[in-house]
Amino acid sequence: MYGFHGRLLQIDLTSRSHRWVALEETRLRAFLGGIGLGTSLLYDLAPGGVEPFSPANPLIFTTAPLVGTGLTTTSKFAVVTKSPLTGFIADSLSSSFFALELKRAGLDAIAITGRAEPPVYLMIGGKESGELPVVEFREARHLWGRSPGETEALIRSELNHGGVRVAAIGQAGENLVRFATISNEGRHAGRGGVGAVMGSKNLKAIALSGNSEVEVADPKGVDAIAEMMRERSLGTVTAKYREIGTVANLAVFNRLGTLPTRNFQQSTFDHAEALSGESLTENSFSRRYGCASCTIRCERLFKSLTGAEQRLEYETLFALGPLCGIEDPEAVLQAARLCDQYGLDTISAGGTLAWAMECAEKGLLPEAQRLGLRFGKAEPFLEALSAIARRSGLGSLLAEGSRRAATKLGGESAYWAMHVKGMELPGYEPRSLKTMALGFAVSPRGACHNRSGAYEADFSGEVDRLSGDARRGGLVAASEDFASVLDSLIVCKFLRKCFTDFYAESAELLSKVTGWSCSDAELRRVGERINTLKKLFNVREGWQPEDDWLPPRLLGEALPTGVAQGVGLTVSELREMIGGYYQARGWDKNGFIPEKKLRELGLG
Amino acid sequence: MKDDQPSAGAAAVVLTGGKSSRMGRPKALLPFDGEPLIVHAVRRLEPLFSEIIVVAAAEQELPPLRRGSGQALPVTLVRDQVAYQGPVAGIYYGLQEARGAIGFVTSCDVPFLSLGLISHLLSQITNYDVVVPYWEERLQPLFAVYRREVAPLLKDQLESGELRPISLYKKVRTREVGPEEIRRFDPEGLSFLNMNTPEDYQAALKRWREQRGPAEPAKESASVPCTVELLGVARLRAKTREVSLALPQGATVAHVFSALAEKLPTLVGPVIAPGGNSLASGHACNINGRDFVRDLTVEVRPGDRIFIISADAGG
Repeated sequence: MYGFHGRLLQIDLTSRSHRWVALEETRLRAFLGGIGLGTSLLYDLAPGGVEPFSPANPLIFTTAPLVGTGLTTTSKFAVVTKSPLTGFIADSLSSSFFALELKRAGLDAIAITGRAEPPVYLMIGGKESGELPVVEFREARHLWGRSPGETEALIRSELNHGGVRVAAIGQAGENLVRFATISNEGRHAGRGGVGAVMGSKNLKAIALSGNSEVEVADPKGVDAIAEMMRERSLGTVTAKYREIGTVANLAVFNRLGTLPTRNFQQSTFDHAEALSGESLTENSFSRRYGCASCTIRCERLFKSLTGAEQRLEYETLFALGPLCGIEDPEAVLQAARLCDQYGLDTISAGGTLAWAMECAEKGLLPEAQRLGLRFGKAEPFLEALSAIARRSGLGSLLAEGSRRAATKLGGESAYWAMHVKGMELPGYEPRSLKTMALGFAVSPRGACHNRSGAYEADFSGEVDRLSGDARRGGLVAASEDFASVLDSLIVCKFLRKCFTDFYAESAELLSKVTGWSCSDAELRRVGERINTLKKLFNVREGWQPEDDWLPPRLLGEALPTGVAQGVGLTVSELREMIGGYYQARGWDKNGFIPEKKLRELGLG
Repeated sequence: MKDDQPSAGAAAVVLTGGKSSRMGRPKALLPFDGEPLIVHAVRRLEPLFSEIIVVAAAEQELPPLRRGSGQALPVTLVRDQVAYQGPVAGIYYGLQEARGAIGFVTSCDVPFLSLGLISHLLSQITNYDVVVPYWEERLQPLFAVYRREVAPLLKDQLESGELRPISLYKKVRTREVGPEEIRRFDPEGLSFLNMNTPEDYQAALKRWREQRGPAEPAKESASVPCTVELLGVARLRAKTREVSLALPQGATVAHVFSALAEKLPTLVGPVIAPGGNSLASGHACNINGRDFVRDLTVEVRPGDRIFIISADAGG
């Protein structure tokens, strides 16, 4: 088998045992790797209706066929599980050297179940090339309470192995914060609470040291494409990522009236200039950084007043800045540092705090009022972030995420909870990006800008971004399928516009890696199959049509400021778009998948 | 060589294939008066010549040779068979292509050429094989008239490595046109003001604007004021947030890019496509925060705010 190792490592933490299972080629071809393979394994390995924090909920790490091929931006891995935030599928990506090491460990996926007593970390590493790697369960009590960065350093030190790569949880994961991340090398598998699932298993970290190289079918052909893509990746198409990073979005979104501000009360922020990527670059830029084997290198480190460097990207900037009314770049940098140290998803952290601020201002959350939590106040905001990670005081409520917190608080507070399926919205205002609004409503993992890049249609002039219609259904479905193929090959989305014909070129590349004869049509079908299986998993876990919907604020209030002033989103507009989506997917009018469609995709 | 009445039916030969090494980027692509310099040169020569031949290096990038309306310019494009052999090669390839007996040879980087002077040079060819101006103590072979019949001699020069055009002048009947004669048609000799460095280019732009100056008040009432807001890469590159423009009535988005390229040449390449009237891939344009523009012929309205942003909203 080329491009894959053909092996799944199943680990049971309760019994401290593991076993190797062959992965059949038909599954790999049907789902590729990454998110696709993870979804397929989750569907098969998770007992129906499993509680996310149950030992039986599998936490699945996957690698992918393009990982390790030298193709730029492909050093990525996926984590898939049942989300404690949404109760549906959580599929999260992270990247860099841990991804390469996962592939070199000689496996395509790890599925972890059970619960360790006391906490452990896993050390997975082969002794000699070609041998199955050794799996060790190592004591982790001394690591409990440590940040992911500290954990990584300590593990390297005690293993006396500088080359070992580590993915770890911080305190947020340990304390089952429902939006905790798994972190490696300062990056995060961020959304959906995968870190909390890891914490529920008393698994502090996974350390890898691999030496299994995977063969590709046509090394020269792969190298030639990799070289071509390397060159393309350095053109003007990726200039934004290379010259400013994703923080460039903030000023643009503000001008276009799509920057969620003060818990989606507005779509412009009066202090956007101070927080803009341009200003940060001019005033605080420290260093440019990139993932392993990436030529785009989108990461930006900014220097805070203390001299410390801090990574910042758009979603973190938006969520810990305008969404909470925070205008001081220094406070945003500090908040981002806390989220990194604790292992908190910055989007859900910002979204949940923005909910708490609004509740406090409306007199619904006395404890938040006592703490002085309100829009724009940096100090209580930073204290609340720490409280969430530690689950102390009000933090214990907020660690549940905005949906559960609102349910517990009751009253009108649910109106201010800005989530879809329990996952807080990212930094794209749905009322002025109508295709994205649909993308958020129907996404299997909740409000997400990565599993659906529907905003592309809104930002292209292809559609009227301020007005929705049924035609958006096809655009969103196509965008989801495209994202699923990218996330399963895996190729970073920031390379996507460097392809002239993504499906045809990817099919050619995949063929040269695997030796299969892939067509663009086959890859399109793979994308549809993955999204359909995600939905099928959600249906099994209790999905109902009302889960594909948007928060009431978006349907009840028009935007009060900016170029989109006066623009709202109506119930009938959203219904029409959702109907168009189900139709484009070939699902029934209520969003359930007909047997015929399942059979057509080999899922029946 | 025979005498005739050649100037009717003469070809203009515009050389573009130099290395532009001091300029740092291809001269032919430099934005000038809202269009690439090569287009500007061709349009300037059009009233005088029925045939215009553009000579470029083999792999050289050229903008679309079109008017602002999109209509193609009547140009014959010739590629050097061997790159960077110097002006002798360019003159040779251009004359070879000419349908008529006479060619006026110039380069694309002389935006202030005087049609009156060119007409005079053409009129002097009757009893000569070359008419070449003498200005600022040197002959000006790239603003001269040649008979096509001298082409074989140029070929011989190429083969023997005689790469200076003036070597030809000793071998054929050459008429030198001196400074006094030149001043009758071009008092300041602006026809010979070419651009070799970014400073030359900026000076030429400034001069061009000044020359147009007296006409501006009349235009002003008919102009379309608009503002370009630069975001992201464009802002960092230009080191400015916005630029005010006054465009002619009927100006389109393409005109906006051209005018912007002229004001901020640093954007040409990274943000504005070479040629100056469209955006480089990866960038997008939005008018008033409302409409994303895909059609470059969209007209700009007075007071419009035009955003130049990254086309990729991912993050």
